[in-house]
Amino acid sequence: MSSKKRDFRDESEMPLSAVAADDMRWNKTGSWRNIKPFYDPKTSPCIASCPAGENIQGYIELARKERYEEAARLIWQNNPFPAICGRVCYHPCMDGCARGSLDRSVFIPAIERYLGDYAIEHGLREKRPEKTLDDKVAVIGGGPAGLSCAFFLAKKGFRVTVFEAKPLMGGVLRYGIPEYRLPKTVLDAELKRIEDLGVEFRPDSIVGKDVTLEALGQYSAFFVGIGLQTSRRLGIENENSKGVMAGLEFLEKINTGEPVEVGKRVVVVGGGNTAMDVARSSLRQGAHVTVVYRRTRDEMPAIEDEVHEANEEGVHFRFLSTPVGVITKNGRITEIRCQEMELGEPDESGRRRPVPKEGTYFNMPADSLLVAIGEKPESKMFEAVCSISSGLIVTDEYGRTSNRKIFAGGDVVSGASTVVNAVARGRGAAEVIAAELSGKQFDPKKTKKVVAIADLNTAYFLQKDRAQMQRSDGAGGRRPFAEVNMGLTCEQVQEEMSRCFSCGVCDGCDNCYVFCPDVAISRHDGTYTIDYDYCKGCLICVQECPRGILSTESEGK
Amino acid sequence: MQKVLEGNHAISWGAKASDVKVIAAYPITPQTQIVELLSEMCTSGELDAKFIKVESEHSAMAAVIGSAAAGVRSFTATSSHGLLLMHEMLHWAVGARLPIVLANVNRAVGPPWNIWTDQNDSLSQRDTGLIQIYCESNQEVFDTTLQAFKVAETVSLPAMLVLDAFFLSHTSEIVDVFGADIGKKYLPPFKPVDFLDPDNPKAFGNLTGPDYYYELRHKIHKDHLRAIDVARRADAEFGKTFGRSYGLVEEYRTEGAETILVTSGTITSTARVVIDERRERGEKLGLLKIRLFRPFPLDDVRRVLTRAKKVAVIDRNIGFSIGGIFAQEIRSALWNTRVHVPLFSFIAGIGGRDVTPEVLNEILDIASAVEYPEQETYWIGVKDEELSYTGR
Repeated sequence: MSSKKRDFRDESEMPLSAVAADDMRWNKTGSWRNIKPFYDPKTSPCIASCPAGENIQGYIELARKERYEEAARLIWQNNPFPAICGRVCYHPCMDGCARGSLDRSVFIPAIERYLGDYAIEHGLREKRPEKTLDDKVAVIGGGPAGLSCAFFLAKKGFRVTVFEAKPLMGGVLRYGIPEYRLPKTVLDAELKRIEDLGVEFRPDSIVGKDVTLEALGQYSAFFVGIGLQTSRRLGIENENSKGVMAGLEFLEKINTGEPVEVGKRVVVVGGGNTAMDVARSSLRQGAHVTVVYRRTRDEMPAIEDEVHEANEEGVHFRFLSTPVGVITKNGRITEIRCQEMELGEPDESGRRRPVPKEGTYFNMPADSLLVAIGEKPESKMFEAVCSISSGLIVTDEYGRTSNRKIFAGGDVVSGASTVVNAVARGRGAAEVIAAELSGKQFDPKKTKKVVAIADLNTAYFLQKDRAQMQRSDGAGGRRPFAEVNMGLTCEQVQEEMSRCFSCGVCDGCDNCYVFCPDVAISRHDGTYTIDYDYCKGCLICVQECPRGILSTESEGK
Repeated sequence: MQKVLEGNHAISWGAKASDVKVIAAYPITPQTQIVELLSEMCTSGELDAKFIKVESEHSAMAAVIGSAAAGVRSFTATSSHGLLLMHEMLHWAVGARLPIVLANVNRAVGPPWNIWTDQNDSLSQRDTGLIQIYCESNQEVFDTTLQAFKVAETVSLPAMLVLDAFFLSHTSEIVDVFGADIGKKYLPPFKPVDFLDPDNPKAFGNLTGPDYYYELRHKIHKDHLRAIDVARRADAEFGKTFGRSYGLVEEYRTEGAETILVTSGTITSTARVVIDERRERGEKLGLLKIRLFRPFPLDDVRRVLTRAKKVAVIDRNIGFSIGGIFAQEIRSALWNTRVHVPLFSFIAGIGGRDVTPEVLNEILDIASAVEYPEQETYWIGVKDEELSYTGR
């Protein structure tokens, strides 16, 4: 207690109520504490959900301040293709986005796309490394996995050559995904950025044919990202008839501008992204398109956005059906014979197995049957040098194969997957390759805890609608292959970014500073500090932090 | 200027005329219109005050305690359960000697849920130490808001102005109102002695032992007693400035009265009519309206009632087992005068039951029928077959 208490002889000398002008700092209320708050910045759930680990919160924070170039460069730390991924990614970041618990998740791919397009418009280039290293790395496969690996290796100073079988780079980005989803001009611009780093592109080069294994001796390490080459076949009668084509083959023709006649009635078999791309491209050829799929919409592996857009454009769907035969006339397809299916017990994918229903056959007239039921790897040439299992190259989570010099990533490792997964694996492999070649131990970076939605306090955010992206006339318009989704305007992007909570990352809102009843939190140069001499552990700061930055630990008294 | 205003809005205008600077409030039927109109006035800028939306009445009083402690004229309003929720903070406001004005619309307490008029809410706050003034008309409500600030700021105690639910709060009457520019002729700016000041940091209300707490409470008691004259003068000054005054109590036709009826709130208006009618018929009746309840206007009450042969107090409230609360107060006020006036305690109007001229006539019939009260309390109109006194 303070010893400076005043004595009063008469109440007329006394104030109306007790008044103290003493310094109370002698009373270290921190000694009352049994649980302690502390600043513990965390990983935002969007970042944790992104397979490439893009610093989404970080680039949104920069872009909100109109530091668009820095934001784009931040994306390039994890992904060389923001303009591509912003258009085609299945955006698991949006599923993780905590905003979804308040109203709707932030439209992250639209923001990424905006920044990717900004970088292209402004001709931004990635910085070349200061030193070029002696080691050369060969990347086999010019698709997203290989290109990503090349990009990150080149940034570290390695000399990289990318061997690609086809006449142009891009892989599925060029030969699979059609123009109306990903314009080739955008793809070429993103590819140029990689070339500008000094990466050597060698198209029209099949390893083992155009490139001898001897010629590969000059390379210190190899990254294999050849994807899945061969379309699966249905295995039904008359599958080789005229008018029956593999989905990938059809898409390659469409994407290289080769004329392809599909007729007026097209049936597409399959439920994945390839099937959707095939269906929507056929639609744009003026055909009536029906997608036949052996399970239901819920089991379709295609990205939900794609299925939705296909449906909106007028693609028809026939679920729980599968072709069992092709009916021809003069060697050309006229009809497809199908059988109805029903869903039985789950298979190894966890989805309910389609089981044919006895006696339920029906015919569908068709001018073309496009088969998009999956792709298989062509990995025979690697069997001698590293482990293969079911055609897929076996690797650890970083892309290391059973052969010290060989690394792999993308669909040839994982099976059919997505662009962002390939990009992530390409980068992961680049890290271990770099470690291996420089003789250093590979140390995966420690990640911070991820913010849980329960850590947030959404009372501090107002509801706000998600931005609506303008769409072109699409399949029904004068230019059917023109890009459907037209991106957000600068104003829209700023509005959309204002919806980001910045989970786990302090933005200086001052709640902790204002609400601390002990005035134990001070603020200096945008950083907050807790004075533990006075913090009573009431945890109001923890509760009122909208972003879940503060964590607690027991003091074990 | 004259406006047709419901009682609640008369208070809003009163607060505006008093140039309040902080309003913190939580809505509750039937007071919500008070703060609703004030919030609109703040938004439009016609009232230059900060309106703080809080999540409970306890917080509302806590918030105005904060602003009053910072030296700013502060106001809040509530009713019934809201007032009850504020209870702890009412004690605080008094001990902290903060001249906050609180408007309370008298509403019954539940359960069962009841939104109609009843005085138990405000009267159960008797011992918190708030000044309490009971109003009869919307004009009085507007005028009393300014008077309440004047008294509160002079004696450094919070004041509650009280009005009946629906009969005043939601009933429109013609009210003569004015703005702060005129109000300040009567109510000077608030100048606290001690207040929270970052340039001169102090803490208020800290730990005080038995050695000094006793004296601090004595100071409040003395200031309550002082407040009687302060209130009287404030009312007289209001009369001089604006031509309207109400007194601490009002005698209505008490000359020659043998029985004096004592009322508060809107029952008073009905009583005036009934008194007039019965006086026409030769009954020697008078009416005493109690306006200031805390501090209790001891001298005024004694002066008027010691002249009567019978006193009949109507309470729109109940102190369970012992009787109407106004009746209890008056009984104890009269005790030391050694004038033993028979005092009838009538209970009526609880939970908003209408106190009609019929009810008042029944009360006066009972009071005139017997020399002395035959019950401690008479619950007029109660549906109880066992009760044997006249009336249903």
